[in-house]
Amino acid sequence: MVLKRVSTALSALLVLSAGAALGAEISGRSSTQLLWYNNEFTENRVFEAAEYLRVNVTKIDQAGKLSLFAYGRGAQIIGPDHDTTGRLYGLYIDYRDLADKADLRFGRQFASNAAGHALFDGLKVDLKNIGPVGLSAFGGRDVVYGLNGETGNTWNTDLGVSAYLNGFRKTDAEVSWLRKWEKSEAARDTLGASFKQYLFNMVRLYGNARYDLPSESFSESLIGTKIYPISDLVFTAEYYTSYPIFDTTSFYSVFAVDKFKEALVRADYTLSELFSVNLGYNRQWFDEGATANVYHAGVGISPIKPVRINLEYDNRTGYYGSMNGFTADVDYQINKSAQIAGGITYDVYQRDVITHEEIARRYWLGGKYKLAKNMALSGRVQNDVNARYSENVSGRLVFDYDF
Amino acid sequence: MLLVLSILYVQQAAAQKENHKEYRDSSISDCNSCHKSEGIAPNHDSDWIRNHRTVADKSVNKCGECHDQSWCLDCHKGGGIGADFKAEGSRRNFVPSSHRSDFINIHPIKAAGNQQSCYRCHEQKQCSQCHDRFPKGNLRIKSHLGLGTNGQQYSPSSAADHATEARRNLQSCASCHPDGDVCVQCHKSGGVRPHPRNWKSDNWKDRTKGRVCLKCHIPGSF
Repeated sequence: MVLKRVSTALSALLVLSAGAALGAEISGRSSTQLLWYNNEFTENRVFEAAEYLRVNVTKIDQAGKLSLFAYGRGAQIIGPDHDTTGRLYGLYIDYRDLADKADLRFGRQFASNAAGHALFDGLKVDLKNIGPVGLSAFGGRDVVYGLNGETGNTWNTDLGVSAYLNGFRKTDAEVSWLRKWEKSEAARDTLGASFKQYLFNMVRLYGNARYDLPSESFSESLIGTKIYPISDLVFTAEYYTSYPIFDTTSFYSVFAVDKFKEALVRADYTLSELFSVNLGYNRQWFDEGATANVYHAGVGISPIKPVRINLEYDNRTGYYGSMNGFTADVDYQINKSAQIAGGITYDVYQRDVITHEEIARRYWLGGKYKLAKNMALSGRVQNDVNARYSENVSGRLVFDYDF
Repeated sequence: MLLVLSILYVQQAAAQKENHKEYRDSSISDCNSCHKSEGIAPNHDSDWIRNHRTVADKSVNKCGECHDQSWCLDCHKGGGIGADFKAEGSRRNFVPSSHRSDFINIHPIKAAGNQQSCYRCHEQKQCSQCHDRFPKGNLRIKSHLGLGTNGQQYSPSSAADHATEARRNLQSCASCHPDGDVCVQCHKSGGVRPHPRNWKSDNWKDRTKGRVCLKCHIPGSF
């Protein structure tokens, strides 16, 4: 039923738009996928067929200001369960440069501002070219997805408002407000601010803060810098704090919680297409004296041009557990049409002090073949060997058609 | 100082930001080479999954000049039309590489840290949707071990552990007890006060008409 609804809506929209708009350009992708995996809840093997459709219709009007975007998925489990699910991720009409002052977007869409983001059915308006400050607002019915489909209430709504600096090439600054209602109750009420400043052609300063109005506390704050003396070398330093927030409609929103803090430094260096390396260190502070350290190292090597090897090592020690592991993958571009790759992830972890060390391994192999300029067949098979499974094979086969 | 800032801003205002639509098929190295020559920070590096929100979380960002919304939604809302064959999957959805190996077992370690990063893609209620499907006795929680028929009831001697764990990761409580019914047994009015020091009850009364307050307090008493 859901599958039919999604595909019918998308098809109708496509036909309607194409028919109504002489000269409109239609592009997009159809992705037909066959998936097989183990359902952890039922321990059943699942075979599932999924059809994705993404459609862009542009230049609907003569001035090329009106466009349409649609993106959805229908999926059906093959076999006795034959469960059908669908998701309509986006379906909106875009009208740009109204009187050269406004961009309008109407329908199901994903929008963000410095205070947060939302998927909603509604309207977004961006007012521009009105001076050094631009204004943006969005609002509509909140769309929430759970494990298998939409779980939100019909009357849950979002409203976001922003003012931002406009026309400054090396400076961004924004203040925003985002409120989410659960029926008539304000579940979230957040003020946000962000900034970015480029300096000396080699420094980026940036920050973001979110202030939760009900608890009168900063739910998140971030200050960071990137230093890039050359285009291939980037140093990053960040300091971040967060204070967990719950919807005001949740019982847990009234509880005292601890603040989490972390500092991060990392370096990314790309010597050439043949070699790149990155190193990172992250120090985490939990209240009451608990800490954790996270180290990361990564290397990318191309010993010969069509082959790429990526290696990553991560090590975490401290509060709530340790993890020590690596990933390794090899990518081989056989020719312009064919590509294969494979890899392994090996993690040794221990949760808290009450569990023993456990090992999780993932082996995977995949490939892609371009049947034509606009058609590709790809596949991936993986096997997970871990504390829960001695063998857990899953995979997918995908046929992509671009139009 | 103001004069210097004004001059700086006037100079910047003279040059508009670049539209990137015509570069959408360029390689990242070409993008970053051009960025550097213009004084703009390189991006899409190996830390991009973690770091991209500092660029994307704005009301008007430039992501849409190269990507359409399916690119965001494939990760944030569980899709998969744009992921290539190297991307990992979880059931019918694709997942970012931050969800490595046995993420079901590893996620408590990650979730103990920056929980906000979980919420950028997962609703808080999604935790309990999943946890509800597993027998609670199978979960291993330090402060719960010891009592009860399934060994999952926490003992009075571990009350301090319970408080510390709850303050550090309250979401883990909500994952198995979404309505907080077990919490109310001790944290009801007259019991152990759960509120922070600077508690502003009016903020809840204004926004929810005190519905949450009624869980522990009798009407008119808060």
